[in-house]
Amino acid sequence: MTFTPMNIVLLGVIALLGVGFYGLLVTRNLIKVVMVLQILIKGAITALVLAGKLSGNLGLGQSTAATVIVADTIVAVVGLALAVQVRRRFGTLDVPKISTLRG
Amino acid sequence: MAGILVVLVILLPWVGALAVWLAQNRQPKLQHTLAVIFSVLAALASILLLGDATSDPVIQISLGSAFGELTFVPDGLAVSLTAIATVIGSLAVIFSMEYMRGDEQLGRYYFLVLFFIGAMTGLVLSGNLLFTFFFWEITALCSYGLISFYNDDPKAVAGGIKALIITQVGGVGLLAGTLVAFTALGSFQISDLLANSSALPAASLAFIAFSFLIAAAAKSAQFPFHSWLPDAMEAPSPVSALIHAATMVNAGIYLLARFYPAFEFVPGWRTSVLLVGAISALIASLSALVATDLKRVLAYSTVSQLGYMVYAIGSGSVLASQYHLLNHAFFKALLFLAAGSVIHSVGTRDMRRMGGLRGKMPFVRNVFIIGALALAGVPILNGFWSKELILEVSLENSPLWIHVLMLAGVGLTAFYTFRMIWLVFFGQERDALHYHPAGSPMKFSLAILAVGTFTTWLLFGGLSELLASTLPYHDIEVASTAELVTALLSAPATWFTLVIVAVGFAICWVRARGYRLFGGGWLTPLVESSFGFESLNQWIVRGVSTSAERLRATQTGELNWNIFGIFGGLLLVLIILWLGVK
Repeated sequence: MTFTPMNIVLLGVIALLGVGFYGLLVTRNLIKVVMVLQILIKGAITALVLAGKLSGNLGLGQSTAATVIVADTIVAVVGLALAVQVRRRFGTLDVPKISTLRG
Repeated sequence: MAGILVVLVILLPWVGALAVWLAQNRQPKLQHTLAVIFSVLAALASILLLGDATSDPVIQISLGSAFGELTFVPDGLAVSLTAIATVIGSLAVIFSMEYMRGDEQLGRYYFLVLFFIGAMTGLVLSGNLLFTFFFWEITALCSYGLISFYNDDPKAVAGGIKALIITQVGGVGLLAGTLVAFTALGSFQISDLLANSSALPAASLAFIAFSFLIAAAAKSAQFPFHSWLPDAMEAPSPVSALIHAATMVNAGIYLLARFYPAFEFVPGWRTSVLLVGAISALIASLSALVATDLKRVLAYSTVSQLGYMVYAIGSGSVLASQYHLLNHAFFKALLFLAAGSVIHSVGTRDMRRMGGLRGKMPFVRNVFIIGALALAGVPILNGFWSKELILEVSLENSPLWIHVLMLAGVGLTAFYTFRMIWLVFFGQERDALHYHPAGSPMKFSLAILAVGTFTTWLLFGGLSELLASTLPYHDIEVASTAELVTALLSAPATWFTLVIVAVGFAICWVRARGYRLFGGGWLTPLVESSFGFESLNQWIVRGVSTSAERLRATQTGELNWNIFGIFGGLLLVLIILWLGVK
C-alpha cells in the first residue's frame, strides 16, 4: 500500500470511524458518548470531502461537509445540555441507569 | 358543468364536515342544521350529475410522473353510486337529527359522517387508481371512527378495530393490485387498465384480478372476511344504515363491477367470484336464522344480499348487480333506520325482550314491514325485481349447484325476515319496555325510503341506459322496465322462487305459532363462532401479538446494544454491496 495523500486521508477516515464506533459500543458516560459521537461525525465529514475530491465534485463535498458541521454542532450542544440536565435530575451520567423507558 | 358538479359532490360534504367541526359542540342546533344543509346540497348536486354522465374525464390535474394524472370520470357506474351514497347519506343525516339529539359529541359524529360520504363519492368518481385507493382508505378510517363512536364502550372499540384491521387487508390488496398495474402499464388510469387488459402479461393480470377480489371481499364483508360487519353493529343506527346502504360495503361491489371487463377472462376469477358470493350469501343467511340481536340480523342480511350482488357480477351481469345495489340501498337503509327508531324508543337491541310492539309504533311497524318484505323478495317491492333478475341471469351463466345454493338462500331470507318481524312487532309482550313514538325527522326519512322501496325498481330502464351509454368496456344490454317486467313474469324460475319464498314464510309461521323461534339447535354454536372464522381471526391476532412480545426482547433501550445493532446492520449492507460489486 502506497502512502499517497488520498490513502492517508482514507486511513484517517477509517480510524476516526473506528474510534467513534468503538467508543459508542463501550462508553456509558453521557458526556463521553457525546464526545465519541463527535469523533464519529468528524470521520464522516472527512469522508464526504474525500468522496467529493475523488468524484471530481470537491465543491459539492465541501459544502455538504459544511452543512453537516453546522448540524452536528447543534447535536453536540443539545447533547451536552441534556447531559447537564440529566446530571442535575438523576445525579448520574451513567446511560443504563437513567433509562426509564419501560419496554 | 359536470366538472363543477363533481367538485361540489365531493367537496360539499367535506366542507360541511369542517363547518360542523368548527361550529363546536356548544351549538348542537347549528351543527344539526349545517350537517343537514350540506348533505342535502350534496345529494342535489349528485342528482344533477346523473344528467351529465359521460365516459370522459371532466377534471384532469397533472401531478407529475410519480402519480400520473388525477382525473374524475362521472360515468354511469360512478354517478349512480354517488347518487345512492349522497341521497341515502342525507336521509341518514336527517334521521340523526332526532336519533343523536342530546349527544355531547355531535361534532365528531357529523364530521365523520360527512367526511365518509365525501370520501365515498370521491372513491367512485376517481379515474385514477391511486386516488381510488386514497379515498378507499379514508372510508375505512371513517368507518372505524363511527363504529367506535361510543368509545367508552369496549365492545364498540373492539368492533371498530376489527373492522379497521380486516378492511385493511383489503386495502393492502387494492394497493398491491394498483402497483402491479402501474408497473405493467405505466399508468394509474382506470381506463388504461380496462383498455389494455388483454395486452398485459397473464400473470400480472391474474395477480391484479385476485388482489382486487380480496380487496372487494374485505370491504363488502364477503367470505372469508365477513366477520367484521356483524360486530360493526355497535355503531349508532344511522351509521349502520350509512355503512350498509350508502357507503363502505358498496365500494367492494363497485370495484368488482368496475373491473369486470378486464378480469372476465382471467382463468378461475369468475368462478372464485361466484363462490365468494354464494358462500357469503348462504353463511350469512344461516347466521341470521338464529341471531337474537335485531341489528345483527340486519347485518347478516346485508352480507347475504351483497353476496347476491357479487354472485351477479360473477355470472357476468354488472347491470343486475348494480340494480340490486340500488334497490338494496333503499330497503336496507329503511330497515336500519326503522330498527334504529325501535331501538331508540325501547332502549335495547335484543329481540327476545321486544315483541308486541305493533300497536305502539304503527308508523315504524308499517315501514319496517315494507322494508322486510322487500328484503325477502315479495312482489311489487323493489327487492323482488332485482333478486329475480339476478337469479334469472345467473341461471344460464353459473353452475347449477351454486344456483341451487342461492335459491336456498332466498328461502332462508324469507324465513329470517318473517322471524324478525314476528319477534319485534307481533306475539306477546315479553318485557315491560318503555315506548315513545318516532318524531318527525325520523318519520320524514323513513317515509321517503319507504316510497323508494316501492318505486326504485321502476328506474331499471334508466339505469340500464345510463350504464350502457357511458361504460365503453362493459357489455351492457339496454332494456326498459316494461321489458324487465314481462321477461321476469313470463319466466318459470320467477314463480319457482316465489314458491320458495312462500315456503320460507310458511315454515316460519308454523314455528312462530309454536313459539319456537329462538332455539337454533346445532346452528347456534356454529354461528357464534362465525363458522370457525372467528377462531381463525383469533389465531392470527394471537400469532401477531406473541411474535411482537418475543421481538420485544430486542428493544433493550441500552445505548451500547443499539450501537451494536447499527454496526452489525452497516456491516451487512457493506457485505451485500461488496457481493454485488463482485
